[in-house]
Amino acid sequence: MTAAQTASLSRSDHWISEQDGLAHALFTAEGIHCAGCARAIEKALADLPGLESVSINVVARRVSVDFHPSKLSFERILRRVSEKGFKPVPIAGAGATAAARLERKQALKRIGVAALGGMQLMMYAVGLYSGAFSGIDPHLERMLQWSCLAITTPVLFYSGAPILAGAWREWRLGSLGMDTSIGLAVVLAYTASVINTLRGTGTVYFDTVTMFILFVLIARYFELSARHRSCAATEALACSLPESVQRVLTDGTTERVSLAEIRAGDRLRVTVGQAIPVDGRILEGQTRVDEALLTGESMALHRGPGERVLGGAINVGAAILIEATRSAQESTVNTIVRLLERASQSRPRIALLADRIARNFVFAVLVLTVCVGAAWAYFDPSRAFEAMLATLAVTCPCALSLAMPAALATTMESLSTRGLLVTRSDALETLAGVDTVALDKTGTLTLGAPQIIATELLGNLPQPAVLAHAAALERGSAHPLAAAFLPFANPALQAEGFEEVAGKGVEARIAGQRWRIGTLDFIHELLPGAKPPAAAHATSWLANEHAIMARFEIADGLRPEAKEAVAKLRELGLEVQLLSGDRPQIVADTARQLGIDRFAAAQTPDDKLKHVSDLQRRGHRVLMIGDGINDGPVLAAADVSLAMGGGTAIAQAAADLVLLRPDLRALPQAIVAARRCARIIRQNFCWAIGYNLSAVPLAAFGLISPWLAALGMSASSLLVVLNAQRLRKGAA
Amino acid sequence: MSSLYILIPVSMLLLVAAIAGFIWAVNKDQFEDLERQGSEALDLDEDDDGSGSITRDR
Repeated sequence: MTAAQTASLSRSDHWISEQDGLAHALFTAEGIHCAGCARAIEKALADLPGLESVSINVVARRVSVDFHPSKLSFERILRRVSEKGFKPVPIAGAGATAAARLERKQALKRIGVAALGGMQLMMYAVGLYSGAFSGIDPHLERMLQWSCLAITTPVLFYSGAPILAGAWREWRLGSLGMDTSIGLAVVLAYTASVINTLRGTGTVYFDTVTMFILFVLIARYFELSARHRSCAATEALACSLPESVQRVLTDGTTERVSLAEIRAGDRLRVTVGQAIPVDGRILEGQTRVDEALLTGESMALHRGPGERVLGGAINVGAAILIEATRSAQESTVNTIVRLLERASQSRPRIALLADRIARNFVFAVLVLTVCVGAAWAYFDPSRAFEAMLATLAVTCPCALSLAMPAALATTMESLSTRGLLVTRSDALETLAGVDTVALDKTGTLTLGAPQIIATELLGNLPQPAVLAHAAALERGSAHPLAAAFLPFANPALQAEGFEEVAGKGVEARIAGQRWRIGTLDFIHELLPGAKPPAAAHATSWLANEHAIMARFEIADGLRPEAKEAVAKLRELGLEVQLLSGDRPQIVADTARQLGIDRFAAAQTPDDKLKHVSDLQRRGHRVLMIGDGINDGPVLAAADVSLAMGGGTAIAQAAADLVLLRPDLRALPQAIVAARRCARIIRQNFCWAIGYNLSAVPLAAFGLISPWLAALGMSASSLLVVLNAQRLRKGAA
Repeated sequence: MSSLYILIPVSMLLLVAAIAGFIWAVNKDQFEDLERQGSEALDLDEDDDGSGSITRDR
């Protein structure tokens, strides 16, 4: 047994923790979608001897079981769960999950204490207020005040602890934020109330303090749960992979290896219900794979020998043998996780700007509060404190620093469920402002699975030999058309010294001779003066140093949803253009079918780049959509770019967005979602500015009492968070 | 009015009990999943014996 094997086995022990002879295990069960699924698992486990309890969280798809390990083995529980068609997987980063759970529980407890305390406090406050109007026994008033103090103290120091700690942190770091103004307001109000209670005269603000803390906590709880839900998507991907894999050795025996040990070329056995560990190609077996986590594709897809499978896809059909084409590190699923993390970590420009504004804003509020205090001290000292308190409490920088991340994260998450990966957080902002969409044709609007529809022999080689030569050359090409030749490859014919000229073709040596396949121009460079017959359709020419050998007609079908997607884009008021390296006739044909008026054919990558730059110079903002490999430069030049991932090219794609599932209908959806996101952010900004501009003067002039100010501020921040949550719903 | 001198302390005690109950519920994971139990009432499973969950919590 290798060291890594031991490590992977011992890691699986982390599923279980034991205490007083009772074992507790927690794992994710893939496939839980509803309460019915949860009940199915509970029923399946119910009659196992030695089982103590089962509880299932449908939202987190998490099963937690308590059992007596002496009477029941964990394997048996897992087997029962798998038999029901669910796939138990260990929770990757269980520590992180536990931390998130703890955070949520803590927040709930704090809210509970503040809410219950607040309700009780309101009763006493009603007594105090009515007492102030209609007279009250001074002993009773004192008692009520002391009761209020007794309730507010734990609310401030327990429920309000995150706010106080945040204020202290901001103060120490010298970066003023929300917590500073909130913390200062509650501490000031509390201190004044305590002093007044001790003195036995003056107003108390205990209800204000409690309500303020409660509302702020509620607003933050919404933000917290939004954040946790977005994290869960990445986590689900990361933990879909198996811990260890069966590797088949050359002598036919198998060994268990950890994920990290897999190399390209390894032969791996994948059983039913298991996730395919790395990107690979099927060697044996017909199966169906579920790529829902990777691409959002909800239907299981058929895969047979020779076909590619993605690491992270769940094998739901039958056991298969695959050959790894990439290591785990380089596999699609890992790339997606990395891209997602990168996008969620980078702060978009607009958010950084908002942070800066919020910082200056808080500073301005502190200065203003001091001025308000000074002014009132001059005119009417008795009202100075209340006015200062109200000014501090009423200001709300929350829409700037609180709700924008929520809006962005929510949008990214809802896009990823449709198979669209946002790799740069700025992309959403830019996408919302796009007015022109430039589409590549091959592999984008078309299926990218071209067929040879005609072969015209022009040399002295028979057809099979011609095709075999073409296939040998195209093996070195990443161009979508190359796929048409690959089935005709002859293992006896190998090319070497591949050289690909993007948009033109491939050159390589076969049996000592230079061969080329590609456009006519490309052939002419090798054979100046060769005179081929005229031709329609996408044509590739095959030639060696002496003569043109053949002409191939290749056709590539349009994606079935392309027309609908283009129509939707135009409905959204976008100008759609087609840029293709293909022949004018075919491009015109495609454009006509799709209802696109503006198109440019026979474009080299340089031409496309020039075209897009021209558009930008004329003030257009361009979304470029390409297949991600051939269109690298033009994708980089466009304001925002989208690459058709198709599962294989994600790593190379230098695009802002990657479409993981080849469904073009996600395009208009993405633009709608980006626009909604921009609109919500704008609304929140307008609200924040309008609210603060109208509320701050009222508070400064003493027209708002502190409790009303606290209510206004909390309501404003809650409004902003809830507004961002609207992005989760609708837009489907 | 003098009854208030008893009722106010009593209300404080009730508050402490309510908070203790809430914290106990949170610690016992009662608020972990707020969606499932809601949809469970709509689940018309024939062989449901009406006992609800099989969790044998002590």
